[in-house]
Amino acid sequence: MTITVNGKKTDLPENSGRTIDSLLAELDVSQPLYVTVELNGEILERNAFDATLVATGDTIEFLYFMGGGC
Amino acid sequence: MANHFRFSTLLVHGGLEPGPAGATTVPIVQSSSFAYDTAEGLEDVFRGRQMGQVYTRIGNPTTESLERRLALLDGGVAALATSSGMAAITTAVMTIVRAGDEILSSSSLFGGTFSLFRDTLGNFGITTRFVDPLDLEGVRNAINERTRLLFVESIGNPKLDVPDLPALAKIAHDAGLPFLVDATVTTPYLATGGELGADIIIHSTSKYLNGTGNSIGGVIIDRGVFDWNSPLFPHFQPFYKKYRSFAFSARARKLIHKDVGGCPAPLNSFLMTEGIQTLALRMERHCSNALALARFLKSHPKVSWVKYPGLEDSPDHEVAKRLYGGRYGGLITFGTGDKPSAFRIINSLKLARNLANIGDAKTLVIHPASTICCDYSTEEKALMGVTEDLIRISVGIEDPQDIIDDFKQALE
Repeated sequence: MTITVNGKKTDLPENSGRTIDSLLAELDVSQPLYVTVELNGEILERNAFDATLVATGDTIEFLYFMGGGC
Repeated sequence: MANHFRFSTLLVHGGLEPGPAGATTVPIVQSSSFAYDTAEGLEDVFRGRQMGQVYTRIGNPTTESLERRLALLDGGVAALATSSGMAAITTAVMTIVRAGDEILSSSSLFGGTFSLFRDTLGNFGITTRFVDPLDLEGVRNAINERTRLLFVESIGNPKLDVPDLPALAKIAHDAGLPFLVDATVTTPYLATGGELGADIIIHSTSKYLNGTGNSIGGVIIDRGVFDWNSPLFPHFQPFYKKYRSFAFSARARKLIHKDVGGCPAPLNSFLMTEGIQTLALRMERHCSNALALARFLKSHPKVSWVKYPGLEDSPDHEVAKRLYGGRYGGLITFGTGDKPSAFRIINSLKLARNLANIGDAKTLVIHPASTICCDYSTEEKALMGVTEDLIRISVGIEDPQDIIDDFKQALE
């Protein structure tokens, strides 16, 4: 399965049950409690992370309001 | 750090990540800025694509550890630590209001907050209406089309009145307004922001959270439950669209905090994190010592009046009992009739220290009318519950009999 994460093509093992929550763990995303996830241009509500499946070709952006500079 | 632990465990472990070389305390990252190997790496952090620090004014690893702990304690989705409690109030309120807006605030306020609302923000075209927080109908009637938030202290300092916070939360929410609570006096140990119905919780961490009076700090905790996608708050749209339940935290940190710069020093964040660990033990002692001292003062023939919500004949007792689980905090006020007698008592105390602070392990006193409220008119002092004979006590965690003995000898 190939998806785009933060603008980079990312190959992942095939897994039809991969959710946003499991993707955060699989990619070891820093401070997952504080990340906002944009899936194919739409911001996901946090309570949808465990029910939203990741599909090949998806474009995912992780966004942090902490840290950063602007 | 898992967030399912109980309160006292979170006080010790909440937000703490494994430190270098097995350190069990949060490292003090005393660095103003943070380097990245590549231009792309720094761009990703600036754009928020990667978690990371850029500059300590906006974020710092030591401070973020403190923020994670404080968010967990109050049931928040995020916290923003600041250089003082006043910086926290300023940042929280400026995140919400713009020129032409109105703040609806309790009149029973810490003097610094009263001055911020009336004078400083007033000079920028933000009007504050002050209302008695115990008069629920008066609060409801004071809301108008310009009101953008309701602000209350959990227990008014120094008035020591106890508003019915869940009832005030309902009034705010019925009007589509966020409910901001300064819970410095009660701390999340007596009640969490969620239990009180607050959307945004503010603490001066300098007080009970720190516990030993060794540093100044504040925090804003965002429960992530208020709907900022509202026509009353069009300025939140960019943040709501991008960060949803973090909209308030994002606007606070990425705009107001970034621009105003009220950030804590990493060393102070470390000291706060260390102090918080013993909050539960200290608050139990502050509360039991205060109740014992209030009962003593109540029985003393030279004391004209005592105000403490833990006294059963206090008009605030029932609400305080319901909201705070039979604990009533560490603040007492009392009077002996006039200013000279108040000064004589303060000058005679040997254990209690005369200074402008609360929430220290040590017992503290002050005469507010001549100090922290000296710039206010008699009418304004009356709104804040400050009379010429009032002495405020912040009861410490010393042996209760030594505290009582000190006031006994000073009164006699």
